[in-house]
Amino acid sequence: MFGRRGLGHTKRIRERLERLDLAALRRRARDAERELFNLGITFTVYRDRDAIDRILPFDVIPRILSKQDWHLIDSGVRQRVTAINLFLHDIYHGQKILKDGVVPAKLVLGNPNYRPEMEGFEPPKGTYVHICGTDIVRDHRGRFQVLEDNARTPSGVSYVIENRHMMMRAFPDLAEGIPIADVDDYGRQLANALAAVAPEGIDEPTIALLSPGVYNSAYFEHVFLAREMGTPLVEGRDLVVERDRVFMRTVKGLEPVHVIYRRINDEFLDPSVFEKHSLLGVSGLFGAYLKGNVTLANAVGTGVADDKAVYSYMPRIIRYYLSEDPILANVPTNICGEPEGLAKTLDHLSELVVKPVGEAGGYGVVIGPRASRRELAELRRKLKADPANFISQPVVKLSVCPTLLRSGVEPRHVDLRPFAVTGDGTWVLPGGLTRVALRRGSLVVNSSQGGGSKDTWVLV
Amino acid sequence: MSSTLLARFAQNVFWLGRYIERVDNLARILDINETYARVSHGEPDWGHVLDLYDDTERFLQGHDRTGEFEVLSFYVLERDNPASLAASVAMARENARSIRHLISTEMWTHLNTFHGRVSALNRRDIRSSNISSLCKEIKEGCQTFEGITEGTFFRGSAWHFHNMGKYLERADQTTRILFMACGLLAGAESDALNTVRWNALLRSVAAYHAFRWVRPRGHQPRDIVNFLLYDPGFPRSVNLCVTQFGSHLEDLVVRRGQPRFPAVEDACKRFEFSLNTGLGSRVTASGLRRFLDDLQRAVNRVSDEIAVAYFGIN
Repeated sequence: MFGRRGLGHTKRIRERLERLDLAALRRRARDAERELFNLGITFTVYRDRDAIDRILPFDVIPRILSKQDWHLIDSGVRQRVTAINLFLHDIYHGQKILKDGVVPAKLVLGNPNYRPEMEGFEPPKGTYVHICGTDIVRDHRGRFQVLEDNARTPSGVSYVIENRHMMMRAFPDLAEGIPIADVDDYGRQLANALAAVAPEGIDEPTIALLSPGVYNSAYFEHVFLAREMGTPLVEGRDLVVERDRVFMRTVKGLEPVHVIYRRINDEFLDPSVFEKHSLLGVSGLFGAYLKGNVTLANAVGTGVADDKAVYSYMPRIIRYYLSEDPILANVPTNICGEPEGLAKTLDHLSELVVKPVGEAGGYGVVIGPRASRRELAELRRKLKADPANFISQPVVKLSVCPTLLRSGVEPRHVDLRPFAVTGDGTWVLPGGLTRVALRRGSLVVNSSQGGGSKDTWVLV
Repeated sequence: MSSTLLARFAQNVFWLGRYIERVDNLARILDINETYARVSHGEPDWGHVLDLYDDTERFLQGHDRTGEFEVLSFYVLERDNPASLAASVAMARENARSIRHLISTEMWTHLNTFHGRVSALNRRDIRSSNISSLCKEIKEGCQTFEGITEGTFFRGSAWHFHNMGKYLERADQTTRILFMACGLLAGAESDALNTVRWNALLRSVAAYHAFRWVRPRGHQPRDIVNFLLYDPGFPRSVNLCVTQFGSHLEDLVVRRGQPRFPAVEDACKRFEFSLNTGLGSRVTASGLRRFLDDLQRAVNRVSDEIAVAYFGIN
């Protein structure tokens, strides 16, 4: 059921799983899902007037990473986050990398996520991306490759930790005697990192988590993080800015806030600067930020670094700032905004994956080999009309992991999103979110499109 | 850090306490009325429940008769009625959702499961043969929540607000349960039937044995009314609720360092004054009704002043 060949490090766990029959596995899986629902570890889908709480489908067969694999991912992610922070500092200051022609200036300065308001601003410790989620896939030769960087407000870390708690309750016997890296330290690491980037002179900073509110689909995660860090979970209406300082409305009156982990996007942060009609943000917040009276995590304007077009330059960006080879490779990418990239894409359309640059959540992605002739013709038209909006990549034969399905245990494609936290230095939560495409043959792991998740075990 | 409580969270936790208490008491009131209906052998008066919640007008906008099914549907199932069990439990959950990071996981999980159960109720659950067990289940859902809260909720400012909400609502609800007694005082029913009804009233608030204990031979309606209003040991007496409310408010200020507001204290004093002076020695149906009306107004005043002072609502 769980494969005979494969690597030695999973042998003991496979043997234990083999001893459980399908009915027992299913029973435990059902109990686990019910418990996730009752615990309210859900994301919310809105349909008509009803809010429907759904759990992210949870697969009880863990994904296992060897010590060596993890060492590679951990150092590769840290290298990447370091380079991203240096890149952001550079493009908002001297713009050396643009002047040296390593990254086209147009790509950065013309990017909708580039914030000229941030030019010359010095964030504490030079850190722009405090929380980063790096999407990693493994190809058919077993090589880990980065598919995407998430440097704005990456989500999913709550599932990493809740999935682990769930696994330890549902399968206490599975991990017995097998040393697995702990995931419980995330809240403390995050709180420490945020305290480290507090405005100068504040010894005991007040940290708050800014959420769009209970109707946001990731609200559970906001609750989770606020609880893990022991910070208030605030909304825009709870905050007020007076004389460039941020306060929250408490039963005692106004009390100062020094660091805000914000889970709302740049454009909604401050209606006096960005999107005017935003009800989620706080008027004057950006001004207080530029004065250095409050730290925002992540910084404003990081979206330019996780842009799908900028992504393709990441190996060059790493070499430029660190004079090192990238530890984790990129998936080879054609930039359709460049004539050569567009020509290659149009010539091999039926073999490539084409992605719109600005979309998240897997929307708008066309997988050439799976697309109909009509879909390809439509895509060709869109590409010619607005080439700069697209990139293309070869279809990566994603690695698979045994997954419990109605039809039994079958291989399904997985990816991995480790979470890196940066204050003084960068720390990576061991493991990360393993997402699994539950439909047979599907390569799309996003929860909005039929994906589920697994517990990720890093062996130590 | 722990002394800091956002105004909005204080409001959420206060209303969480109020809604849970409200649901518990609504189940008690529906249960008594069902019992009355059973013992009277006649056409039971479900309009009475509408009266005591002042809901008649609202009810008649959507229904053309005050039959058992219609009234139960209105108070149990209808989400459009903000006073229904379904709507109140949903409101309790919404309030809890906003402060989920402050309350214990156990509190949230229970409320989430309870909400799932209540929102799945349907027409079959409100058939008269099911009402009693349904009310029991609802009460137990609320009591379990309060038990979990007692055992797991961190003792900080939020906990005091939760209890203030709970006791204020309970004071209000006990006055509503006493409204049922106005009917008994006015009625010309036989003594035997009245005795059955008074006992049902006492049982609905778990007061029957306690009352026997305190007044082994007492039986006068006045004794029962006085017991429910004033007995310092009965956990649902208005008197005990006021005392508990006051002591949580005092702890909030003295032990948790939150500000003191004269307007709140003034409203509390007025409430106590109404309670201790309003009801004369002769308990009549109309006198009791007036007295209870006054008390409910006093409760509302306290709640409004709390909202202005602590939740920043004008």
